[in-house]
Amino acid sequence: MSEFSLFDKTSSYDGIYMTLMVNRIQMLYFAIIMPVFLIDPYMIWVIIIVGVLSQISIFMLSKWFNSKYAFKGYGGFVELFGERMVRLLSFIGIGFILLKVTVITLGYIEVVQQFIFPSVNTNWMLLYILLICWYVASLGMANTIRFIVIAFLCTAWMLLLLLNFLFQPFATIHDLFPLIPYEWTMKSWKGVLFIWSALSGPEYLVLLSPWFNTREKILKYMTIGNAFTIFEYVFIFIASLFFFGSHYVGENKFPLVEMIRYLESPVFERIDMILISVYLFQFVFAISIFLLLFYGATRITLKKSKDQTTRSGFALCCALLFISLMISNELLWKKATNQNILLELEMWAGSLTYLFVPLVLFISLKRKGRV
Amino acid sequence: MKYKHSKILFVIFVNLIVISGCSPIVENNQIEDIAPVTFWSIQKGEDENFRMSTLIPPLVKEKKRLLTVQVDLLKEGMQGFNLKYYRELKVGQLRMLLISEEIAKEGISPLIDTILTDPDITKRLYLAIVKGDFDEYINSQLVMQEDLDYYLYQMFKHYDTQGKLTVINLHQFMRTLHSPAHSPVVPVFEASNENFQYQGTGIFKNDKLIETTNNMEEQIYQLIDNDHFLKYFPIPDLSFVLGHVKSNVQLNMDKAYSELNLNVQLNGRLDEIAREHKLLTREELSRFESEIELYLEEQTTKFLKKLQENKVDPLQLRKYTLRPFSKPLNEKEWSNRWERMEVKVDYDVKIQPLTDIKN
Amino acid sequence: MFRKRKRKSTGVGDRMKNSTGKAQNTPITIEVLRERVDNMEDAEIIEHQTHNNSTIIMVYIRTLIDIARLNESVIQPLRSCRNKNLSECISASKITEILMVEEAEKQLMRGAILIFDTDENQCCSVNLKDSLGRGIETSETETILYGAKDSFTENLEQNITLIRRRLPITALKTEKFTVGSLTETNVVIMYIEGLTNPKFITIAREKIQNINYDQILDSSQLAAFMEDHKHSVFPQFQQTDRPDVCVYSLGVGKLTILVDNTPFALNAPINFFHLFQSPEDYINRWIVASFLRIIRYISFTLSLLMIPLYVALTTHHYQMIPLQILFVLVETRSQLPLSPFWESLIMLVTLEVIKEASLRMPTKSGQTLGVIGGIVVGQAAVEAGFASQILIVLVGISAIASFLVPNYLMSKANTLIQFIILILASFLGVIGIFMGIILLTVHLNALTSLKQPYFAPVAPFYGKDWLDLFIRGPLHWMKTRSESLHPLQKWRYSRRR
Repeated sequence: MSEFSLFDKTSSYDGIYMTLMVNRIQMLYFAIIMPVFLIDPYMIWVIIIVGVLSQISIFMLSKWFNSKYAFKGYGGFVELFGERMVRLLSFIGIGFILLKVTVITLGYIEVVQQFIFPSVNTNWMLLYILLICWYVASLGMANTIRFIVIAFLCTAWMLLLLLNFLFQPFATIHDLFPLIPYEWTMKSWKGVLFIWSALSGPEYLVLLSPWFNTREKILKYMTIGNAFTIFEYVFIFIASLFFFGSHYVGENKFPLVEMIRYLESPVFERIDMILISVYLFQFVFAISIFLLLFYGATRITLKKSKDQTTRSGFALCCALLFISLMISNELLWKKATNQNILLELEMWAGSLTYLFVPLVLFISLKRKGRV
Repeated sequence: MKYKHSKILFVIFVNLIVISGCSPIVENNQIEDIAPVTFWSIQKGEDENFRMSTLIPPLVKEKKRLLTVQVDLLKEGMQGFNLKYYRELKVGQLRMLLISEEIAKEGISPLIDTILTDPDITKRLYLAIVKGDFDEYINSQLVMQEDLDYYLYQMFKHYDTQGKLTVINLHQFMRTLHSPAHSPVVPVFEASNENFQYQGTGIFKNDKLIETTNNMEEQIYQLIDNDHFLKYFPIPDLSFVLGHVKSNVQLNMDKAYSELNLNVQLNGRLDEIAREHKLLTREELSRFESEIELYLEEQTTKFLKKLQENKVDPLQLRKYTLRPFSKPLNEKEWSNRWERMEVKVDYDVKIQPLTDIKN
Repeated sequence: MFRKRKRKSTGVGDRMKNSTGKAQNTPITIEVLRERVDNMEDAEIIEHQTHNNSTIIMVYIRTLIDIARLNESVIQPLRSCRNKNLSECISASKITEILMVEEAEKQLMRGAILIFDTDENQCCSVNLKDSLGRGIETSETETILYGAKDSFTENLEQNITLIRRRLPITALKTEKFTVGSLTETNVVIMYIEGLTNPKFITIAREKIQNINYDQILDSSQLAAFMEDHKHSVFPQFQQTDRPDVCVYSLGVGKLTILVDNTPFALNAPINFFHLFQSPEDYINRWIVASFLRIIRYISFTLSLLMIPLYVALTTHHYQMIPLQILFVLVETRSQLPLSPFWESLIMLVTLEVIKEASLRMPTKSGQTLGVIGGIVVGQAAVEAGFASQILIVLVGISAIASFLVPNYLMSKANTLIQFIILILASFLGVIGIFMGIILLTVHLNALTSLKQPYFAPVAPFYGKDWLDLFIRGPLHWMKTRSESLHPLQKWRYSRRR
């Protein structure tokens, strides 16, 4: 075994990986619980409008990819903000990454606990999933980015299963009416916030820019990813309206899983168990990427970014992540009354990062360009 | 090198856990230790709230038998079963829930909610209302039919997609219960010592059983709402039997929600004519057609009137008030309008005689 | 590196190395040569008087040369020759003059005879190697119904001939290396110049030159030294004994490595999906071939997952089993003493034992063994209350399915993976199985063959290659060579403009 290098820039990837990553990172835990926050049929328009807004963020991010700083990675950020500032930002970023990982991981584990193993100790499950992610991430950033293709191919087809619900005998077009909001409450605003937060995630991809090569078309590729996500959201939402009806959809905790549960395959009766497990591909990918970012951010904060990555340092980071996840699981997530705190926090945090990261990058690029 | 060792150590660690049988999952679902049950029958208890019974699945040369417990809470019953039987009863394969009529009249939503929250139980669980003592029926039939529960399940499954009988699963029930109409339907069966017979469709208002359709109403209901198909459609009053009747229903409501137009197109065959009639000529056939049309219009109007009187809406008519660009009616407005709505029914019957028509 | 060398210094190889390494400049004399062939019963030294009274000494190893040719092309001409110059007497295509004893030794051991002219005090060698070996037979490891039947033999030259006949172009280059301090095995890298990516050739060259070992008896040993990931269960070189397969791989931009004395050539770089491709795919009609290929992938998945699924379902997820089967299972399982995991573990190990045993047996008794093993043991296991019928059926299906993978090395790897997934399945049920699959794909994703990604047309993604991945597209659609191999010539068609 030669030296352990996680952030080797050995290969440079096409824009297609960007498409897939943008799409999959937007389709995490929030996609499973999405219909609960939307409920009314007219929220279809909200998804589309927020999707278009998200396109603006994507546009600003793509400007970063096109800039000369992007290729340099960490060096680029230092040039733009100065080292002290970068360290501060990465320190703040650790918090956001931690929160995001916490919510998606614990959320997924809760789904597993709810539908597959009601009696499992979730901390064990957490340990196993993090062990897998540790293995994935320890193979290096280049391999982890490449894993997106497998993750995408293994999970994206599940959308087709939802086609079933358009042809159920109880589904009628009337479930989608009315299409215009006649009352707009605090809850609807929350829905908007939720969608915006659900679409967040691509802002973390700017950190992976050194691994990408085709800079000119990156906007196109990111747009495709974003558009596909919006299509998926709309499709899932329409399917859930057909399946539950807008009055019943709010009564379920995990509408998407409930829908999958209703499907029947000729061989196995409960295919939701298989499909939930297949979903793990996507979560493993996302958590591994965040794990690597977490490690990278920690190194930058501790002024170690020039040193060789070490196995023990990485393992320590993983252990740290595991411990903090376990603590938040024990203290917050396990108690249903506290669970909302984390979810709410992540909704705000996701929205904030998705709003400000592209904005800050864009503005500072403009300023640098003028000077 | 260190890395390789840690990999090997990890594998050994996992193996040790597995082999020692130490698993993070407390629950034991090993197939030889459990007894999956396929149905629950819930009846009114004598002292307690419920009397629950289920069939214990057959095992090594063991007779199937009926277990019964008296409980206050549903899940308490589950526990009661386990205390009575040496294998642990599991509900993961629960397929049918039979609820007695008395309970249904008082409201079944506490029962349904309990079942709904159990992630083990599938949403495709079939619901049925049973009149009479189901336990008695099972006990008497068990001698003749070993796999009674399985056949019952097969029957539900068979009619699930093709009409003729109303078959409702848990999800459909919940969906209609929460839909604006709030009028779910559940099939009603009658159990006696030797018979287990389909009675008709039970119509609920919220979660309480209000009404059970009679024979004619049931057939109309099947045609205009549930799957739109009947294999045999006997009309005893006119001494006809129509066969393979397919219907095509069009519902129209005017803008003010004061009038409902129900257009039904029936296509079928004239299977049996049980009265004196002349040679089947063209005029004769069209006379039959109009006779049937008239009769069905009358019957359907009667059926709908009855629904209006009971303020129930099993046909989900309220969803027709939902339009893309208009404000939906609220509960009260709808129920007022529905009561006073004028119903116009128009049938268009097209029948094929089995023999050739003489001119 | 140093440690390895030190440890070896007492061995035979080292002595040989020293003798070759140190005395590179010992001039050849008959005495030295006599000393070297001392104690070799089959070494013969013959003195011969020519017509002009000079003495000629011939040295050769009897077992390595062709005696008939010796008489015909050396002894007969020498008898009748009156020419002073030796080399003009002998009727052989190539006569090499030899100055150093090491060179002489090498030639001698490769089946040449050495001829000393004592008067002139010069020595030359004539290659009279006995071309011992079997004829060209049909391949037994990769049998196909239609298509070429010939296969490689142990003879390196012959193998090169088989390839050259199919690719009669001068761009087909061969580079020769010698590896192994004891075996001195000849290794030949073949590639098409101007088509194969030079990066592969450089890497392969480097890797072969870096091999430091005494015995290389088989191409798989060579592969073991050349692999990027030596601890993986997946073969990173495709082994084949079919020249047509080699030619096809050469033609799409891979390189072929031939090893002397082995009928198996190595093709590289390969990807995971190449292991599922059979030469017959390109012979059958494309729809049929695609169907068969898909069946192969399905059966690979089945053989991997069926038993673990059985264990997962019977231990954790009874909810997933269809009702009718569930009743059968509950009934049979309740009479068995072992838990599903141990039951299937024992049956799988038994199956592997039977498989391995029937492989080691002579062909005919192997078949009997298979039948006895399969039917009797299976049936008896059920009757003895050892395993449930359903498990026996599943084991049978998964065993048969595992044979559909064309690559034998892969089907062995298959079993190992199955055991790992089995453990995970008994531990965590369905989600354990998928954790296993994730680990498997992650591992495959990180593997490389000659530094090229192993999971190639999928991750990294090459859309065009998908035409020949899970399906085998029609040949006239496959206009370009596989992108994942980065060939220097993209088009398979000569483009007329």
